[in-house]
Amino acid sequence: MTLEVAIAFELNDRPSSASVPADRSALAMLREQFGLTGAKLACGEGECGACTILVDGRSVNACLMAAVDCDGRVIETIEGLRTEEGLHPMQQAFVDQGAIQCGYCMPGMIMQAKYLADRQPDLSLEALRRGLEGNICRCTGYQKVFDAVAAAAGLPKENQP
Amino acid sequence: MTSVASVGSGPEDYSAATSVEQAVRFLAGGESAILAGGTDLMVEAGRAVTNCKRLLNIRRIDALRGVTEKDGRISVGALTAVSDLLGDPVLRAEAPILADTADRFASDQIRNMATIGGNVCNASPAGDLIIPLLILDAELELVAWRNDGLASRRVALDGFFRGPGQTAREADELLVAVHFAVPGDGFHARFMKSGPRPALEIATVAAAIGLCLDSDRVSHIRLAFGSVAPKPIRAPRTEAHLMGKALTEDVIEEAGAIAAAEITPIDDVRASAWYRRHLAAVYTRRLLGNDT
Amino acid sequence: MKPIEKKSVIGGRVPKPDAPDKAIGRTQYINDIELPRMLVGKILHTDRPHARIRGIDTAAAKALPGVHAVLTGDDVPVLTFGMNKDNVPLKRDKVRCIRDEVAAVAAETEAICDEALRLIAVEYEDLPGIFDPAEAMRPGAPAVHDERPDNLSLAYKFDHGDIGAAEAESDVVLDDVFNVHYVTHCCMGPGCVIADFDTEGRLTIYSQTQYPYNFKMDIAPALGMHPGDIRVIQPPVGGAFGSKLDVYPFEPVAALLARAARRPVKLVFSREEEFINAPTRQPARIHLRTGATRDGILTFRDVDCLLNNGAYTSWGPTTPYVMMRTFSSHFRVANVRYRSQAVYTNNPYAGSFRGYGNVQATYATASHMDMLAERLGMDLLTLCLKNAQVAGEVSPQGSRLDDMAFVECLTVAGEKTDFTAKAAQYTAERERPGRIKRGIGVASSIHNAGGAKIHKSDGCGTMLKLDDYARCTVITGASEIGQGIDAVICQIVTEELGIPMADIIIANDDTAIAPWDVGVHASRTTFIAGNGAQRVAQKAREQILRAASHQANLPWEALDLREGWVVQDENGEPVVKLDKLLREMHFQDEPELVMVADYYEPPSEAEGPNHTGDMSAAYSHAVHVAEVEVDTETGEVHVLKVTSVQDVGRVINEMGLEAQVEGGIIMGLGYALSEELKIEDGIVKNPSFRDYKLVTAPEVPELDLHFIESDSKTGPMGAKGIAELPTIVIAPAVANAVYNATGVRFRDPPLTPEKVARAIYEHRAPKVAAE
Repeated sequence: MTLEVAIAFELNDRPSSASVPADRSALAMLREQFGLTGAKLACGEGECGACTILVDGRSVNACLMAAVDCDGRVIETIEGLRTEEGLHPMQQAFVDQGAIQCGYCMPGMIMQAKYLADRQPDLSLEALRRGLEGNICRCTGYQKVFDAVAAAAGLPKENQP
Repeated sequence: MTSVASVGSGPEDYSAATSVEQAVRFLAGGESAILAGGTDLMVEAGRAVTNCKRLLNIRRIDALRGVTEKDGRISVGALTAVSDLLGDPVLRAEAPILADTADRFASDQIRNMATIGGNVCNASPAGDLIIPLLILDAELELVAWRNDGLASRRVALDGFFRGPGQTAREADELLVAVHFAVPGDGFHARFMKSGPRPALEIATVAAAIGLCLDSDRVSHIRLAFGSVAPKPIRAPRTEAHLMGKALTEDVIEEAGAIAAAEITPIDDVRASAWYRRHLAAVYTRRLLGNDT
Repeated sequence: MKPIEKKSVIGGRVPKPDAPDKAIGRTQYINDIELPRMLVGKILHTDRPHARIRGIDTAAAKALPGVHAVLTGDDVPVLTFGMNKDNVPLKRDKVRCIRDEVAAVAAETEAICDEALRLIAVEYEDLPGIFDPAEAMRPGAPAVHDERPDNLSLAYKFDHGDIGAAEAESDVVLDDVFNVHYVTHCCMGPGCVIADFDTEGRLTIYSQTQYPYNFKMDIAPALGMHPGDIRVIQPPVGGAFGSKLDVYPFEPVAALLARAARRPVKLVFSREEEFINAPTRQPARIHLRTGATRDGILTFRDVDCLLNNGAYTSWGPTTPYVMMRTFSSHFRVANVRYRSQAVYTNNPYAGSFRGYGNVQATYATASHMDMLAERLGMDLLTLCLKNAQVAGEVSPQGSRLDDMAFVECLTVAGEKTDFTAKAAQYTAERERPGRIKRGIGVASSIHNAGGAKIHKSDGCGTMLKLDDYARCTVITGASEIGQGIDAVICQIVTEELGIPMADIIIANDDTAIAPWDVGVHASRTTFIAGNGAQRVAQKAREQILRAASHQANLPWEALDLREGWVVQDENGEPVVKLDKLLREMHFQDEPELVMVADYYEPPSEAEGPNHTGDMSAAYSHAVHVAEVEVDTETGEVHVLKVTSVQDVGRVINEMGLEAQVEGGIIMGLGYALSEELKIEDGIVKNPSFRDYKLVTAPEVPELDLHFIESDSKTGPMGAKGIAELPTIVIAPAVANAVYNATGVRFRDPPLTPEKVARAIYEHRAPKVAAE
């Protein structure tokens, strides 16, 4: 029988705990044990970014993150972005700029976009494009994703796509 | 649907080590999978993490992270994340090729997780980070728990690889650091990688060069390739051709031809042997001619 | 109260109503849904493309704790389905391609399913495989289906005019073979289905289907059921792009498991399974001969197509219906001959995919236009303008080309890009030294934009109700697959009824509730569902205004609905608040609720047996200009800029329209440059994102979009369908640009770096003797 490991961590600003099989991914834990279905299983090998979450402030593919290693860490998922005031500005920008079509890739895309914008306030379009290379979208062709991030990050005029 | 524990498979023993000693003592207890970045271990197809009986999580060993410089040598902790290689000030100053290569490595999300040690031990023929380390004449430091104590050895990176996915690391050894001498001032090093996507790509061909010139003649040369052989390789015949020569157009042209001839690429789903030889020649010429 | 001005929401930039839920991760996609007591289903696929099944031992799998059902073909009646009735959910005597479903398991967890699959032992007797359609047609070739020893599947032919006479009049005849390749949809949401039977044996199936009503009809035979006993629920999906326009075995398999286990079963593909099992785009060998006079007038097109049918027949081999339209109607051509033959092989099989045959055919026709221009020493745009149809023409297949803007699209494209001058400049620069070459290329095409009458009806049912608070529900048969019909319908209803978009709910995900629609395909949804929505909204508007006319003391035609009020049309003076009026209507002596229904059938014709008929209620064109930079050593092609000029009829949602065009262009770029499902001897060699190369964010070119409003008389508010043309036109534009840059013509996409490098190398190097 696979070993079950008890872990405790901060999940979307709240202390949380779980018992996880030693081989479970963080993605499976979030989806199946916490009902946080925003992050998606779309490839299972870190190629598409649809499962992107933040761990200790860094973006990672939750499908490749071991659940056991969530112990003691700070985990943020798409569900944790909005506040009482409403959608996070990055989420709102994606809505307003028409960047969401089928939307399946969007929780991962928005988390990665937020990470990029927070990490580098003077983000250039070039750096944004590189920063999103690990997030595949089949619907949008990415252009409106760039527009949304530019709008949310308040990119200076000369950097706007 | 809640998942019940898996059926008879999956690790039965797990440790989240916080020191090297704790880690190697666990490894001494039997064959284990090592969780570093997780970017190979956790991949769903083939689920290596499910198929192991003992799982060692080394991500809590802070001592294995970071880049230090001492007495003309740079040490990179095996657990240093690729994204940390990118921004490291010591590397940017002394060995920018490693930082530049890190920038071409997979995606942001993968860079935040993958480790230099994992890339070395995974021994993919593509081995993006291995190529520049070969240029730098890197040395690996391995530690094991033997005879009731820590046993450490160093081994040259060049020669560490046995074949695809196979290295000279013993099952009870932990890679703790990669070391290399600080390159001299005249050391020019560059990395080049193919593919339509800038980074998220297993390279069709990757190449790196490190060279020094003395009165316009090559006084030191290292040329390495990935994805052209069962393991990342140096190109000794091309290096020999270049030693002592001025980098004229003819010398560069011939270097490209020799490199293409001395590598042993195969046809696979990503590219044909023809194209790999062709690119190897192109990259050799561009790296020598300082073209983009 | 102040007068209320008329404000239009048509043409604006309107966010998608479901976007906020998607942005916060609240949307429950089909892949996220859990039903009580649901089991996991998995399929055991064969590991070889052609073999007899000698035996399947499931005893150990059945005995595994947590397993609730194990099925093989022997456990279920032989019930065929599919276009040629050549498919069954679980294969019995033979496996014919690498997808073939040999057994299926339902168990309590995914891990138990995996273990059960491992415990199933299959004994095969290998048979020689046949993979090349030309080989498969030869006498003595292995038969994929024993009942069809000649391996022949669907064949099509079309004739118009006299090819022989036309050829005699031609000054130039181009003769080329184009081989277009396998690509796959790569929906971000992998294949998923949930099947649930009630106690009477009626099925509720949660499906990613794009055509829910005919889906019932198509899946019923595989289950031995009556279509009326099948209820289809369509949760939000992670993309479709045509991959869900047919029944594929995994869906009836899930239902068979649910029936056997007497519990709901959810079956989800891994990404690797998705790559192998999702239907591909139809590959084709297209032999095209195009004739023209020395003045550049097209005289004929003569086409022979060989299609790899794969092991079973889905929509792929019917793409000739659309290919024919390209060959007969892309530019004015007086004489056309088209022949196609699909041939069974032991390969995975093709379905429908955005563009549906037009992508393949336009690659050939648009390449030939470029080649013709060079041969005639004529500027390409000039050549195009000489042959571009204008409004009022009728194509050889009887398409009435009304409300056209082809000439305008070509003209605008040329002006915006300075194409003619640049093409000449880059041609001159080709032979000069330098390894980076620039090129510019043009392509165009025509596609149906007002539905496509391929079924007995091309219609859509719509119902609309208003409650006592003036909140509106529109129940439409049209499916939302991410393309944005929800926003378009809301805009149309808001325009007619003056109700805020936020007060409108679209209900369209349950066949027990919503009326019939033929499905999302053929760029039809805005046109047909939009017309349906407009018609019900207009009926409701009339009913409301009639009810208000008494208190307004005006005829209803003199009234209008604006911002939740009934007003005088002429001056905007408020008459009565809408919700108040609705309550008055409801609670009067003879109560009146606003509940209206409509079925919209577009004015089009089914094709006759000779493939003529005005099969769409509108047609549209797009022109793309691609500017590229080619590294002639590595073969890498960087697309710098794409200028798109498309006739959209009328812009309803400018933001949604751009989004669809941008996405379609990027999808087509992948087709042109990097996407290829590599199938060798029936095996998919690259079933992962690692080795199947989609276009990613850093590779997106500068996109310059222009929309021409030809104002369709048949479209809702003048709008036409738009979503496929962007994918159809871009690939040959890029190929033509690469030719302009390098002098090397690529008849076989994708133009991968290796292919381009090799072709340039061979083009430049003198041929080595006896290689």
